[in-house]
Amino acid sequence: MSSAELSQIAVNALLLSGLLALVAVGFSLVWGIMNIVNLSHGAFIVMGAYLTYWMHELLHVDPFLSIPVSMAVLFALGYAVQRTVINQIMRAPLLATFLLTFGLEILIVNLLNFFFKADTRSVTTSYSGTGFTLGAVRIPYVRLFALLVSLTLVLLLGAFLNRSRLGRAIRATGMDIDAARLTGVQVGAIYALTFAIGSAFAGAAGSLLAMVIPFDPNLGGGYTERAFVICVLGGLGNVVNVLIGATIYAVVDVFVASRLPQLSQAVTFALLVVLLIVRPQGIAGRSLS
Amino acid sequence: MARAARFAVPAVVLAILLFVPRFVSSYKLLTATTVLCLALMAQGWNFIGGYAGYAAFGNVAFFGIGAYATGLLMLSRWHLGFFPALAAGAVLAAVVAVVVGVPVLRLKGHYFAIATLGVAEAFREVAASWDSLTEGATGIDLPVQSSGQFFYYSALALVAAGVAATALLARSKIGAGWVAIREDQDAARSVGINTTLFKVVAFALSAVFAACAGGITAYQNIHVAPDDFFKIEYTLQMIIACIIGGSGSVWGPVVGAALYQLLSTYVWSHFLELHPTVLGAIVIFFVIFLPRGLTDLFRRIAQGRRIGWNVLLANVRASRLT
Repeated sequence: MSSAELSQIAVNALLLSGLLALVAVGFSLVWGIMNIVNLSHGAFIVMGAYLTYWMHELLHVDPFLSIPVSMAVLFALGYAVQRTVINQIMRAPLLATFLLTFGLEILIVNLLNFFFKADTRSVTTSYSGTGFTLGAVRIPYVRLFALLVSLTLVLLLGAFLNRSRLGRAIRATGMDIDAARLTGVQVGAIYALTFAIGSAFAGAAGSLLAMVIPFDPNLGGGYTERAFVICVLGGLGNVVNVLIGATIYAVVDVFVASRLPQLSQAVTFALLVVLLIVRPQGIAGRSLS
Repeated sequence: MARAARFAVPAVVLAILLFVPRFVSSYKLLTATTVLCLALMAQGWNFIGGYAGYAAFGNVAFFGIGAYATGLLMLSRWHLGFFPALAAGAVLAAVVAVVVGVPVLRLKGHYFAIATLGVAEAFREVAASWDSLTEGATGIDLPVQSSGQFFYYSALALVAAGVAATALLARSKIGAGWVAIREDQDAARSVGINTTLFKVVAFALSAVFAACAGGITAYQNIHVAPDDFFKIEYTLQMIIACIIGGSGSVWGPVVGAALYQLLSTYVWSHFLELHPTVLGAIVIFFVIFLPRGLTDLFRRIAQGRRIGWNVLLANVRASRLT
């Protein structure tokens, strides 16, 4: 492999890792705080992609400007889902939330298929195909902006969780729900807020994905899996864990895709299964199993 | 009285089922066989998912292994009869379950679920790419057996055996051990239960049942291809059947499989395009309101308890965030 090829792979991995961190950060938050593996996360991402698509198509809104709208809409939806549905079974065995979010995923994906058909769509803007070259490496503008937006959002979430009063209430609830309740935290509302933030970040990830890849209603499942792998690789607990996990995943994914494109899914899954068995607590985080 | 009913009701049901082929069209018989195969898979999942409480999300791997093993053993190279081939497929699936299960069953909760999902995906890719054995994505063709009754009675016999096996195991030490593992694995280990052994046995049993369903389906469909026999929908169907019937109960998987088929047919004919939406809503409904499934509801009715909204709300009251 030439050094030019290698540096292109490195840059591609870097560009991908930011997006993947945004894909996984909401999933990681919901898992870490409430012990819910949200199988409908990918469906929320796809909803974000459609919101950006339709805003661009019908109202000619620049896709980057539609991100706050996607986040707001999915925040509201996520809040309602947790408050009215998932909170009803929070003390049931683990399998219950797993199956519930799975049912939600089937439902959302089917409704998207029903209303928007299974057609592949993409958001194309005036600057879509453009980019610049740095030495031998080509960098598309959209992917660079997507990286910057992703990192900004992820770090903002980290700051919110660590510095703000509400963020501390969320983390306290995740650590010990009874102790949090004793200090006056409204845990029902905090759970709903946590799921809402997770959904909002899924929406943002969907908006960005709509700009960089073609999508259809069935895209979500793959992103739920990726988010899971990233959380296992990086561990749970902090946005830094997500960034580590996403970087490892992106490097492996870009490298395998350039060498053995037909096996990229199998290699990633094999890596995951081996890692789960050898180190169930993840590479860098605390265990939550 | 209750004891007599416990044997009389299954006997009557079985007697009716034995005469079904005389009265229905061959198409309906095919549907009935599909239901029985789903019941078989659900009975298998019930051991690991219902009794031992491990959310296995990759049982379709054993369905596919059973299908391929049965098919390949019946073909030119070995020329085995159907039943020996089916038995060999079931044994092979059990061996695979033990080999995979020993490391994977160390994982708990979500990790176990996703790992099994990954294992099933890996088997699909192996089946799709091992051209010299499985003929890759094209798949293999089995000898033709056109008698619908043959498949119906084979599946019925296995389901009946499954009910008996579940009933016996549930009352045995091993069934109690599974429930102990489900409720609290550390406590189970501390009272001397060999948790690894018990879990592996449950996983291997689930593999045997799925493999039998796979073998029958393969012979009935004549053609086995990776995408048809390793699709995740089968895993989902067996789990949904178990949940709506009542997981961790003797009759739950069978009742659930029948109900799943009825619901599915009804939904297909009334809301063709929204079929998955309705099934998703049904899953959500059962998880929230009836997590112990319909057999639990029947049991309450049989005990003469009043059934009302309180039954639906009882679970919400017990498991909602307070």
